[in-house]
Amino acid sequence: MSKTARFDDRVDTDPELSSGETLALLMRSLKFIGRVRVLFFYKVLFASVAILPPLILPWILKIIVDQVILQQPFQLEEVPFPPFMMPFIHLIMDMSPTGIMLSTTLLSFALLFIFGLRASGQFADLPQGHDAATQSEQAISSGSSEASGLWGTIEVLLTVRMTQRLANSLRTTLMGRLSRLEMTTLDDQRIGDSVYRVMYDAPMLPDICYKLTIAPLLLLISSALAVYIMQYSYGRVTPEIVWVATCLIPVTLLLTLPLSRIARRLHQTSRAAGAASVNSMEEGMDNIAAVQALGAMQKETERFNTKSEEAFRRHRHTVLLDAAITVIAYATITCGGVLAFILITDEVIEGVLTPGDYTAMIGILMTLMYAARSIGLYWIELQKNVAAVRRVFFFIDFTSELDRAQTPITVPQRGVYFDQVSFSYPDGRQALENVNLELPVGELVAVVGPTGAGKTTLAYMLPGYLRPSSGQIRFDDQDLSQAAVADIRDQVTYVFQEHMLLTGTIRDNLLLAKPDASEADMLEACRVAGALEFIEALPAGLDAPLGKGGNTLSVGQKQRLSIARGIVRDTPILVMDEPTAALDPRTENALVEALRETTRNRLVVVIAHRLSTIREADRIIFLDNGQVADVGDHESLMARADSLYRRYVELQAS
Amino acid sequence: MGKDSQARHQYSLGAIVQLGFRCWPYYRPQVPHLLIFVLLNTLIGGMILGGMVLANDVVDNKILLGERLEPLQARALFLDADYVTSGAEDEPPLSKDQRRQVRLGVLVLGALYMILLTASVALVWYYMVWIFQRINQQLRVEMLARAERLSLSHHSQSRTGDAIYRVYQDSATITNVLQFMLLTPLRILAWFAFGMVVIVLFSPWLFLFMVAAGVPIYCLMRHYMPKIRLAARESREANSELTSRIQETLAAIRVIKASGAEDHMMQQFGLESQQALDAAYRVRYYFVLLSVGVTLVGVSALLVAEYLMATWALSERATYMGAAIALVGFAVWNLGAFKAATGRGLELTKQAREFAGTWAIVQDLVVGLERAFYLLDLEPEVNEPEHPKAFPSPIQRVDFDAVHFSYQSQQKVLAGVSLGAEVGTITAIVGSTGAGKSTLVSLLLRLAEPEQGRVTINGEDIREMATEDLRGGVSIALQQNILFAMSVADNIRYGQKDTDQQKIQAAARIACADEFIQDMPEGYDTELGERGGKLSTGQRQRLSIARAVLRDTPILILDEPTASLDAMTEQAVMRNLAEWGRGRVVFIITHRLSTIRRADQIAFLEDGVIRELGDHQSLMAQQGAYSRFVEAETGEAR
Repeated sequence: MSKTARFDDRVDTDPELSSGETLALLMRSLKFIGRVRVLFFYKVLFASVAILPPLILPWILKIIVDQVILQQPFQLEEVPFPPFMMPFIHLIMDMSPTGIMLSTTLLSFALLFIFGLRASGQFADLPQGHDAATQSEQAISSGSSEASGLWGTIEVLLTVRMTQRLANSLRTTLMGRLSRLEMTTLDDQRIGDSVYRVMYDAPMLPDICYKLTIAPLLLLISSALAVYIMQYSYGRVTPEIVWVATCLIPVTLLLTLPLSRIARRLHQTSRAAGAASVNSMEEGMDNIAAVQALGAMQKETERFNTKSEEAFRRHRHTVLLDAAITVIAYATITCGGVLAFILITDEVIEGVLTPGDYTAMIGILMTLMYAARSIGLYWIELQKNVAAVRRVFFFIDFTSELDRAQTPITVPQRGVYFDQVSFSYPDGRQALENVNLELPVGELVAVVGPTGAGKTTLAYMLPGYLRPSSGQIRFDDQDLSQAAVADIRDQVTYVFQEHMLLTGTIRDNLLLAKPDASEADMLEACRVAGALEFIEALPAGLDAPLGKGGNTLSVGQKQRLSIARGIVRDTPILVMDEPTAALDPRTENALVEALRETTRNRLVVVIAHRLSTIREADRIIFLDNGQVADVGDHESLMARADSLYRRYVELQAS
Repeated sequence: MGKDSQARHQYSLGAIVQLGFRCWPYYRPQVPHLLIFVLLNTLIGGMILGGMVLANDVVDNKILLGERLEPLQARALFLDADYVTSGAEDEPPLSKDQRRQVRLGVLVLGALYMILLTASVALVWYYMVWIFQRINQQLRVEMLARAERLSLSHHSQSRTGDAIYRVYQDSATITNVLQFMLLTPLRILAWFAFGMVVIVLFSPWLFLFMVAAGVPIYCLMRHYMPKIRLAARESREANSELTSRIQETLAAIRVIKASGAEDHMMQQFGLESQQALDAAYRVRYYFVLLSVGVTLVGVSALLVAEYLMATWALSERATYMGAAIALVGFAVWNLGAFKAATGRGLELTKQAREFAGTWAIVQDLVVGLERAFYLLDLEPEVNEPEHPKAFPSPIQRVDFDAVHFSYQSQQKVLAGVSLGAEVGTITAIVGSTGAGKSTLVSLLLRLAEPEQGRVTINGEDIREMATEDLRGGVSIALQQNILFAMSVADNIRYGQKDTDQQKIQAAARIACADEFIQDMPEGYDTELGERGGKLSTGQRQRLSIARAVLRDTPILILDEPTASLDAMTEQAVMRNLAEWGRGRVVFIITHRLSTIRRADQIAFLEDGVIRELGDHQSLMAQQGAYSRFVEAETGEAR
């Protein structure tokens, strides 16, 4: 733990991953191919066919040299042409050299435009940077083809689309899960880390799918073809060569296997370090006002410098590992080559093979060995991206609000009931203890108490942000622990103490709460919240754009807009957490008046310190140290000489 | 909102070269490393070439055919004179055993050679990554440092995700500038020149034909370049917006949950994610079309040329100056001349294709570089004086002198505010929501600049002081209690260099925060959640106050410090602060009467000016705006 704490990850801290888990992750990644079935099918089709045209090329060149320039007749017995060339040979057999050249050129043109023959394959990759984050940009839109021309163009473009769709389906799933994590988890989950996982980890999925399916398939096809053609034309592929090449697969695999654990760890930590650098930057940028006000610019820059340097350093570790793997891979090829070299040269020295055979066989051997080496390296290559998708799947699997029971609930008619509710935070702090409460519909309820008494914790229970550690909360008779989160949130609106506005216009912010709100609804909500005045003063009114986090407004204006957003939602239960802290008394009194009017058929819960607000409440709940100390209205609580509430009020009024 | 509105969609060659030159300061510190890297690369290249030449001869002629060795070869393979050629025509070939012996030597040397070669290739690769990372790191840090010093009005208009995208993705393009804007084009030009010379020697007509093929290639590039550039910019902007979307969604996740807007948010995410992918696809679409187009033109020209050359070979036509290349061999068109010319032709088409690809990549690089440098080119609105005056000490008074201020496109917030505060006094700034209270004090920190008027300390304009010194002399506890995901102690000492635990604890005591901190599982070492989540607002407020107190500055600003504190805690905090504030200038923005009453002077702000100024008694006696404000606060509470 101490080792990983440096990456300031709080939720996902363990970079270790066993081979079994890796295998499971790989299988799970493969399932995503199902989401791009059609594209995948076409990709396999196009890629398999694209291997074939290059096989024709040597024969075309041979015809140009032998039959055109040297003007020799076709000698089909000595070196037989492969069957796929025969139709063309029969066609040009009796032509003059000029005729043959013309036909060959026309065939070449056809193959050029269809398959891009005579040009190498086609790719669509742009250059990338030197850390995991900047390489993801390329990975999400990667695509290539062995062919060019029309065929290659189609294949590259459909590969790019397939890659994008695979990655997009994963990152959308991840984003959906992240936004529905439990509030207690979100408190611990760094925003920069989440950005990193969605933007930079998720794009690594397509490569896994590709490496596990299409790539080995193509290698096998092209190796088999190479062997077949050599066998057919020269009849001289000694089985030993094929065996030597095949043996390279397990040897490479075994040699790199011990490195796979290290590979996983290095790539995990490289990504965690990258995420930590994004965390640092995101935090500094998003809170720039505090950074500047506290004169911490230099320190923030240094912090980012350290984290970014660390991320680069960790990435270099993976480069070093890659280098080691490359050395191992070349060593195996060299050993295989040595063995085959001895086998072949022996036969040449003995006079069984000619030097010409040697050249041909070394050529095919190299093709086979590179193919074998690539397959042997697949396991270790896969580890890199497994590290990335593990980080993605971790949060897809993490307990979220969607994992709760899904019983639908109806609008509460009578009220909300707390039954022996206790709550402790994950770190052990107990915030509520045995709370029993009745909050009837139609009342304005004030929750009062000293700082840290558990007021916000209590209020967070209503929309289900927090769930009781023990005890039960009911809407009428419906147990909240069994209810679908979306249903609960449809009934409850929460206005936060710290107002959070989104970048966009004022209208966007209001519509976020209620997408179908009418102009009149919005203006009325703004009026109730005391926000209408300043909105009307803005040149663009409701359509005035707000800066980052609403920063073009003053704090009081933001607060009023947040309240308006809560009101426009028009739900049966409205919870306001210190709605008036930043409001001046006049605005506040008007707001409380307006709230009173709306409580007829709803429950309004207000956390407040201001006496003027509290006095208006039908019911006051006084919390102290996580327990309900007093319940009643202002008069009755003030009447009791020993009530904590009375002492609290007297202190405030003094 | 990729806000660089001056974004260009047309770049002249000059503009591109200019952008390339701007990268020089980042390359310069690495020049020695780059030179060593090039040297190592050349050595490795030589090694590969030399090894191939040597091995080919020994394997093909000696082992396979049994020819005798050259003396040097024998020495290198540790073989004696028996193996060496005498130079005679009729010398006997090597025996089978001797050939096996030569093979053994080749294998041993070859193995050593391979080990050395792969190891050095791998290490040089690592070295290269290290160099380019350092170049990128320098740019990243400079960008961030600049972004942190930009004015708040800039920040309120730009998105965090955009900054992240620029610092990460856009800045990474700098590592490719050297290769794609210099090395690759040079290499391509060299190959081009070589290929063209050879072809001219064979046939000037062929040369003219190849040049003619350049015309459609040029047209293709001209046609696609603006499209690629535009698509590259759109792709970068779309991805930057997507980054912002994720960041903003998670920063405001509570509101999204509270509004039940997860589905709505996911819809928007899905839309923007698709837009980003579509934009990235478009770049690659044009890139592939261009590349395939150039290939088709190039190879077509080659095929036609081949046809011509084959017919020339059939008629044994004389070459133009083919003899110059291979003495007499290529004087007429024959197989050798055909192969040589075709080889160069194929090379030319490859280079043409690579040139088109490189040029397309440069378009993307230029767009990325420009977005990265955009951040560096922004001038902080707060300009530093050339010869800054020292922050006055001891401090006597702070004055706002008829200051005016308005936010972009909005009405005036401050319209001539004058206010003086002496050392040892507490000034309460009171007024309705949106009256400009926070704006007024932010002028004192130069978080914003007054449009007219000035702010002075001991009569000296703060614009003549270094911003760093100024902010070092003023502490502020912000209205929005911004905490960082660090430990409690780190949050309190945030922005300070060395501070010991005792001072931190003392500051926490003044802010009445010590008690609840001690109650936390790990006390001062407890890690706070993202944005200080896990604490109640009242607790966060007290940490903010402790942070301001710890900085121990002669000027202290508290912006609504106690709004979320209960009455008892609030009074305790205020008592502590009043005592601590002796010998300092303290400004408090507040609505709380109990706090306001303690102030030595109360400034009532309304409509951008100070309506009333005085202490509680005198203002109450005036029966003006302030007394109405007090009545609203207390009227019903009594």
